[in-house]
Amino acid sequence: MIAPHRLSVKFFFSDFSVDVESFIPVFHRWIREDVVPNELLLDVADYKHIGDGPAILLVGHEADYIIDLTDGKPGLLYVRKRDAGSDLSDALGRTLFQALNGAKLTENDVELKGKLKLRTDGATIVLLDRLNYPNGANGDGADSPASDAQAQLSDNLAAIFGEDATVTRVANDAREPLTFELQAPSAPDVDTLLNQLGRGD
Amino acid sequence: MSNIGWKDVLADEMSDDLAHEIDIFEGQMELMGQGKLDEKVFAETRLRRGVYGQRYDNGQRHDGFESRELAFEEMERIKGPDTLWHAPGMQRIKVPGGGLTPNQLDVLAQVADEYSDGILHITTRQDIQLHFVHIEDTPDMMRRLASVGITTREACGNSVRNVTCCHLAGVCRTEVFDATPYSEAFAEFLLGHDDVQDFGRKFKPAFSGCEAEACGLVMMHDIGYLAQIQEVDGKPKRGFKVYVGGGLGTVPHQAKVLSEFTPEEEILPLVQAVSRVFARLGEKRNRNRARIKFLVAKLGIEEFRRLVEEERKTLPHDDRWTAYMDTLPEYEEKPYRPPTFLNGQVNSSEFNQWYETNVYSQRQEGYSVVTVNLPLGDLTSKQTWELADIARKYVGENVRSTVEQNIVLRWVSDSDLPNLYEELKAIGLGDPGAGTIVDITACPGTDTCKLGIASSRGLAGELRTRLTAKSASLPEAIKDLKIKISGCFNSCGQHHVSDIGFFGNSRRSGNFKMPHFQVILGGKWHDNAGSYGLAVGAVPSKTVPEVVDTITSRYVEERSKGETFQEWIGRIGKKEARGIIQPFMQLPAFEQEPEYFSDWGDPRVFSLGDIGIGECAGEVVSLFSMEISPAESEAFEAQIALDENDPARADALAYSSMLKAARALVRTQFLDVGDSPDRIVQEFKSRFFDTELFFDQYAKGKFGQYLLDRHSSPNASPDNDSAHRLIEEALLFIEATHACESRVGGNVLVEI
Ligand code: HEM
Ligand code: SF4
Repeated sequence: MIAPHRLSVKFFFSDFSVDVESFIPVFHRWIREDVVPNELLLDVADYKHIGDGPAILLVGHEADYIIDLTDGKPGLLYVRKRDAGSDLSDALGRTLFQALNGAKLTENDVELKGKLKLRTDGATIVLLDRLNYPNGANGDGADSPASDAQAQLSDNLAAIFGEDATVTRVANDAREPLTFELQAPSAPDVDTLLNQLGRGD
Repeated sequence: MSNIGWKDVLADEMSDDLAHEIDIFEGQMELMGQGKLDEKVFAETRLRRGVYGQRYDNGQRHDGFESRELAFEEMERIKGPDTLWHAPGMQRIKVPGGGLTPNQLDVLAQVADEYSDGILHITTRQDIQLHFVHIEDTPDMMRRLASVGITTREACGNSVRNVTCCHLAGVCRTEVFDATPYSEAFAEFLLGHDDVQDFGRKFKPAFSGCEAEACGLVMMHDIGYLAQIQEVDGKPKRGFKVYVGGGLGTVPHQAKVLSEFTPEEEILPLVQAVSRVFARLGEKRNRNRARIKFLVAKLGIEEFRRLVEEERKTLPHDDRWTAYMDTLPEYEEKPYRPPTFLNGQVNSSEFNQWYETNVYSQRQEGYSVVTVNLPLGDLTSKQTWELADIARKYVGENVRSTVEQNIVLRWVSDSDLPNLYEELKAIGLGDPGAGTIVDITACPGTDTCKLGIASSRGLAGELRTRLTAKSASLPEAIKDLKIKISGCFNSCGQHHVSDIGFFGNSRRSGNFKMPHFQVILGGKWHDNAGSYGLAVGAVPSKTVPEVVDTITSRYVEERSKGETFQEWIGRIGKKEARGIIQPFMQLPAFEQEPEYFSDWGDPRVFSLGDIGIGECAGEVVSLFSMEISPAESEAFEAQIALDENDPARADALAYSSMLKAARALVRTQFLDVGDSPDRIVQEFKSRFFDTELFFDQYAKGKFGQYLLDRHSSPNASPDNDSAHRLIEEALLFIEATHACESRVGGNVLVEI
């Protein structure tokens, strides 16, 4: 299946005892130290005044790393904006790898260490491509690109997150992008996931 | 599946004009990619479609320690002077009069999350901006916007910018009449008009319904129309008082009265005449003096008026001048729900607080305008479609953006207000305080603007948080003061017309630079931006919250009864006002207060290293270069059509590209050639072909003959071969047009 125009993954924080503002200096340092391999980091955008939405963005050329507070569920949202991969499967692999790498960087950052923890047993995956992956049938699964994508994501994710991992389509508003929820009760930790993804890469 | 693009999917939903415009732009992008277009021409081309540069797009960024290269791919590829192709940019989207429908909001929200960072930003001229957009995404973005009737055309560059209009027009209690349909007709008339393509600088129009309020801000615009009714032959007649030559920027000018009363049927020819005078006599080389305000100042308003009147007499008649008037009687906004009343029911104190600041009772009983107070003018994609649904439920299509970076819902039936408030609050848009001291305006500043010196948005966010926290205890006298912040002297945040205004600058302390804000006091928002404030001195950025506290406390202590902030500043004068901020003007050394050396929301040690060359002024390129470029793009499209096995389309495009090129050439001598192919060819023939001006030393008239032949004997059923030949001929013809223009000189010799 075709790689979507953009693809995003959000992992949620289980502990989050940190003011979102403290990500600003952290992200500036990441840019300075060029900590993300294979991605060009550009700038930090501060949207904390918005409250319910993206709060602090590390804007990159290929991808954005976002401390996202939408619906009161803080998490690290990784949005792959370009060069995700040759097809959906490839794009998903790269997006997950980079998102988990971002999670690891966040958890281990010198200024943030101990103040937050990301869980791997669930994530939200969004296909930001209303041309190739419309969200038209509103979650009933009848539209084929959406159900094909769901089948593809289920296969790929079960192989990484454990056989009991499930991918459900979120019955969101038709104007929103096509969105899936990953539940992975026996998901391994970030390092193990990265190892597995890295091997397949 | 991947071969079908938005262009195909939306083919039936875009107007032909807009669709074609976007194809041309895509063609120009392609030519630029192949190095076949001059970088300045391309820059101006993209600016005129609202595709702006953004900070760091020269590939340099200061990380707090040193300036570092941002290693984009294909560093040699550019989209304008010193502007890298792959660096993300800003897209400005024109919103005439701020009018937005729920369907438009839906699409704006969708393009924001697919092409930008999921945030829509309302500007100080009712536009919408998206940031961090890749240029490759812009044609599809434009198509999706075009499918709901939005164009980005002439949103930037040296063109007629968004035509603003009071957000209360039509429902306002003090207006003379509703200026909306006039501003719409004005915007439509000038969009892409031949006479507005050769300005040395941008041209900003505004419409206002009354003199005393602020909404239209006509006094600070290049041209401003203020609604008036005059008795003519014993009957009331609609028209406008017309102002010209206002503007902010480093040298703010109050507009001058061009005409005390211009009747409605004359408002379009008047602006056309003004445009011609501006295009002909306005400064082109020195962009710092190229706005019309400098021309008006140089000539004096009397002489300017005389020239405009002379010009008016020579304009060839245009039916469009008055055509829109036929639709005026039907123009009316329809309320979505029947009028109702609040009837004194008891509401929460939260609601009451919001009601006090965010609700305006319309002239029409039973209805109100609700202001959705957007922090820093921002809202997320999700909030945008949720807001669209709220609009659908309560007000239908009656939504507008405002110059204070908010959105208003008009025609809310009064008894709906409590529910509407709850729904806005649920999506995070229920902040009270619209139009008060907490509702701070700020330009993009160092966040995204290439010219930004200090962080206007960082400061605005900080002040908003602090003032909101203590809003309950703020003295009545200061609650409605306006704070407006620009990141540099260019004044995009409109600081000159606020009570307390700031613009970014910098001062040195030891070996370091410290972000500062110049303090401007006592500007007037009312009376259509009636007067500009006094610059009293610059203070370190980090002291501004305290500076605001100090100034407002002094005002509260010293004001005599009923004295406004402007009157107080006028009374105490510049010297004493400076005395108030003097204690903040001492600069600590880096070792004493290191945090003074970084800006709000940006921990990097402050530097001016990131300031680039602004694109606000656009590129000054000749009218000919601007007009020949779409011809080249069309010839290119013709090649694509041929590749796609569509010889008829290829033939039509090749012919059209020749006509465009010929027209561009003819217009170097004769601006009013119009659009008719017969006329263009006839003028081309008499001016350039018969005179042999077009002739090549070796080929003589051969290339010109291509156009004459195709025009006189079109091919009824073009095949691949004939289309191919015609494309070749078109390319040679366009080349010859370029050559001729550079031989003949290419100056716009106006001949009317
Ligand atoms: C030398 C360059 C520039 C000058 C002199 C300039 C000047 C101005 C002025 C005077 C205004 C507002 C008042 C009015 O309506 O007349 C304005 C509006 C604005 N400017 Fe600039 N500006 C420049 C560059 C920029 C840049 C580079 C950006 C950001 C990318 C920017 C963003 C804005 C915005 C968002 C507005 C509200 C305008 C709208 O929506 O049309 N300006 N500019
Ligand atoms: S005032 Fe200066 S910093 Fe702000 S947007 Fe305008 S040019 Fe940029």
